[in-house]
Amino acid sequence: MRTFFRDLNKNKAFLTMVLPGAIWFIVFCYLPMPGALLAFKQYRFDQGGFFAALLHGEWTGFKNFEFLFRAEDAYIITRNTVLYNLVFIFLGLALSVSMAIILFNLTQKRWAKFYQTAMFLPYFLSWVIVSYFAFSFLSVDKGILNHILAWFGAEPIQWYADKTYWPFILVFMSMWKSVGYSSVIYLAAISGIDKSYYEAAMIDGASKWQQTTRITVPLIKPMMIILTILAIGGIFRADFGLFFQIPRDSGLLFPVTNVIDTYVYRSMKVLGDFGLASAAGFYQSVVGFVLVIGANWFVKKVNEEQALF
Amino acid sequence: MKKGWMGTTAVLLTASLLAAGCGSKGNEEKPSASANGSQGASPSASASGSAKTEENVNLVWYTIGTPPKDLKKVNDAVNDYIKDKIHATVEMKLLDWGDYSQKMQIIIASGEPYDIAFTSSWANDYFGNAKKGAFYELDGLLEKEGKGAKEALNPAFLEGTKVNGHNYGLPTNKELPQQRVFRFNKTLVDKYKLDLSQVKTIQDLEPLLKTVKENEPGLNPIPGKIAEFLPFDLPINDLPFIGVPLDTKEYKLINVWDTPEAMSYLETVHKYYQAGYFPKDVATQTDAGDYFKTGKWLVDVADAQPYADNLWSNDAGYGVVSVPMQDPITFNWSVAGSLQAINAKSKHPEKAMEFLNLLYTDANLVNLIDFGIEGVHYKKTGEQSKDAIPDSGYGFPAFTTGNMMLTYLNTNDPADKWEKFKEFNDSATSAPLLGFQADTSSITTEIANLKNAKDSTYNALFSGTIDPKDNLPKVNKKLKDSGLDKVMAELQKQIDAWRASK
Repeated sequence: MRTFFRDLNKNKAFLTMVLPGAIWFIVFCYLPMPGALLAFKQYRFDQGGFFAALLHGEWTGFKNFEFLFRAEDAYIITRNTVLYNLVFIFLGLALSVSMAIILFNLTQKRWAKFYQTAMFLPYFLSWVIVSYFAFSFLSVDKGILNHILAWFGAEPIQWYADKTYWPFILVFMSMWKSVGYSSVIYLAAISGIDKSYYEAAMIDGASKWQQTTRITVPLIKPMMIILTILAIGGIFRADFGLFFQIPRDSGLLFPVTNVIDTYVYRSMKVLGDFGLASAAGFYQSVVGFVLVIGANWFVKKVNEEQALF
Repeated sequence: MKKGWMGTTAVLLTASLLAAGCGSKGNEEKPSASANGSQGASPSASASGSAKTEENVNLVWYTIGTPPKDLKKVNDAVNDYIKDKIHATVEMKLLDWGDYSQKMQIIIASGEPYDIAFTSSWANDYFGNAKKGAFYELDGLLEKEGKGAKEALNPAFLEGTKVNGHNYGLPTNKELPQQRVFRFNKTLVDKYKLDLSQVKTIQDLEPLLKTVKENEPGLNPIPGKIAEFLPFDLPINDLPFIGVPLDTKEYKLINVWDTPEAMSYLETVHKYYQAGYFPKDVATQTDAGDYFKTGKWLVDVADAQPYADNLWSNDAGYGVVSVPMQDPITFNWSVAGSLQAINAKSKHPEKAMEFLNLLYTDANLVNLIDFGIEGVHYKKTGEQSKDAIPDSGYGFPAFTTGNMMLTYLNTNDPADKWEKFKEFNDSATSAPLLGFQADTSSITTEIANLKNAKDSTYNALFSGTIDPKDNLPKVNKKLKDSGLDKVMAELQKQIDAWRASK
């Protein structure tokens, strides 16, 4: 106990800094944890409040999970969710790191600031608004893309009815919205690298490319690994706004746009069943947890120093 | 070092959780006890209720609508009026149209106290909530405190909103059946001398659409998605492919999308789509735009009530005429268009019912709530008519509550409006499944799948975007793969049991 208080005193500055975040996690992530029980229960309202319903609800075992696996589309939604997220994670990593390096190497710092802000901006837009941007390009009769096609004498394309283009559109939209944000994180990491490394390299006659591959990338590698491991934890969670708003809920695109989150949303609109919704969330979290542990284990195997925990 | 930290945190967390758990357990005893008491032994419950009459009961009432500026003022006037009548006051809480369902879902799920709430088939789902036990069972109250309301309502209202044989909500006394109509822009009808007398089904529209399309090339005669009318009654509205024919004798469920009626309907809309009568992107339209304002439309589909043409013409600023596709029919969802329910955990269900009862029997109160204070928010222009004072700061959706037949008419409304409503309600025939409520608990997986299967094609098919000849068989196969047969068998079993019990 005494060592505990001594630690507390020694680290009080750091602990104070971590406090707001810790409180946020306790209130929004740990306290609601018992709610996961709902996934195994039949939820009813009339049992005297939420906690009573939680404690006394009838146990249903894994029945609430069935709808996710017995689904006719179970394979498609899982495949879509995982593949899109893999592309988002790795393409996003490549793009944002390259973008950060380019921004870092721009000599005109004023322009670098401008590009950075311009790329950062889409991150703050909601998918609903972005979906209208996209619609102004993709609308069948009023869209810019179809006007351009017509100008070249090509047939207009029914964008919202033809699923061939959507994997690209979705990846493009996702990158457009997120790369600016994540490149700022990497840019911060790069800016923190000791300048003397580069000076020494320049004196030895290293080219810009050599500086990048030999100094910048190795030094931000831990950051890349941490962010990727964390992103892998969300691999079963799709960005609902992207997959629901951008295709304008068009049924014909479902084979390439239906993901676990949109599937659950559509089902819940008829059933309104808290048990099923919790089951879906619980399932996504458990798989995410296992994947984080797995990815970390893999990193540890390769290089113990760079593992997250 | 690290371990010590973790241990302490864990202990703290567990302690706080236990505290939360215990707290709630203590609370939970009370409401269930009082609910049992008032349902089982009503004399004792009402005795304790009357003992409390001296202290004023305050009822919390959530209902739908944009909160007006003068809500507080009208609320105070309401309380002054009812205080002596029922020894209770009411706190009116209006939640805006778009937020209502979501906010109520949270209020109900979290157990936040309230007494009365608006519910319906389209917002704050009545049937779902009633089944999950969110609302108080009204059967007993309707015989005592709610007697006046019961007498005011067409019996079909209460019959059609029963869930498992009990009433959980008090429907607004308004139009009861659904009557789907084609609605026409009269300006264009007159301009091209279109003959509406021949129109009854969607197929009959073709010559009219053709004329307008040829003469007004820049205009989509059908400006957006139109609601279909197929002669079937659906046990689950969100799954429009399971139904019984409206004229059924044996109540046998069939796949509606596998019938010649559906095929013929879909072929017609597909033909119209290809002819350019619909906007090209109709399948993914989220809203059709304000075509009422621009006047760039010929025909759409709506649900009518008596004198609806007047209402629509007023809205549009030019003539709108309608032609019915069907005789008025009372469906489960049309009956449940608007109800007020009492919270299952309300501490004063009897008081709440007394208040609701006043809304069906006391014209002064209904008019006060619907239109505000006389002279401030509206002027009386006759015995039974009024005009709203523009920008007076009060508005309330009258159709959401009480007895509409008691409310004042607008000055330009026909004097026999409410008479016509009664006739309309009496003329309605009941849909075969009126009063039947499906229990989906054993088929949730299949319903989730079917709903997704429906969403993947419904808009494309019913907007005519894709050809039903190739696609409908595919869709039907997909429905079968998603468990259609199992759901139909289960629902059939329930329907047979329901019929046997009648």
